[in-house]
Amino acid sequence: MKNKIKIQRAIYNLTQEDLAKKIGVSRQTINTMESAKYIPSTVLALKLAKELKITVEELFQLEKHD
Amino acid sequence: MKQLPLFPHSWQRIGYIVLPVFLAIGIAYLFFDYNIPWLQYKHDVKNIFDFSDNNFTDELASLGMILSLLLIAFSKEKTEDEMIQFIRLESLHWAVYANYFVLALSIIFVYGGAFFHVMIWNMFTVLIIFIVRFKYLMFKYNKSNQ
Repeated sequence: MKNKIKIQRAIYNLTQEDLAKKIGVSRQTINTMESAKYIPSTVLALKLAKELKITVEELFQLEKHD
Repeated sequence: MKQLPLFPHSWQRIGYIVLPVFLAIGIAYLFFDYNIPWLQYKHDVKNIFDFSDNNFTDELASLGMILSLLLIAFSKEKTEDEMIQFIRLESLHWAVYANYFVLALSIIFVYGGAFFHVMIWNMFTVLIIFIVRFKYLMFKYNKSNQ
């Protein structure tokens, strides 16, 4: 699964730390989600999408092998 | 998101402080036959619940170790988010496998009185393996920078 967290974060000029604080997770969790090592729960995905002003479908996309 | 039931973060420190005390008592009891004098229980009445002449040093050490290991294992991290809970569950899964693998080897290769010692250590190994695995993964997680 790919994601656009890093791109969206750059658009709104947010650091990993800023975003982490806003949605109540640790900075490392944002980092592992950006590098697609961790797939967030639906709740967390919705929180991320809301904060990054984008839909969940746009923020996360399935890849062929998923 | 539904959180796992865990102890407050600060309780972890209590676990680290009291664990060496109970571990020392346990080792002293097991290898040097040490008994804490004031934990000696003696009475004369004989009934089915009679456990006259028992020393509770081993009970104290076992319960103390279980309690302190539980505090270390199941206290919240500073920011306990869903990814940390995922790491927690994965470590627990891994620890149960590893524990029973070691136990299976002990069943095959350890006999008689020595097996009794294996069973004593086995009371704590799931928690110990879990703690080591979880802390190792948390160390790697905390080091995962950009």
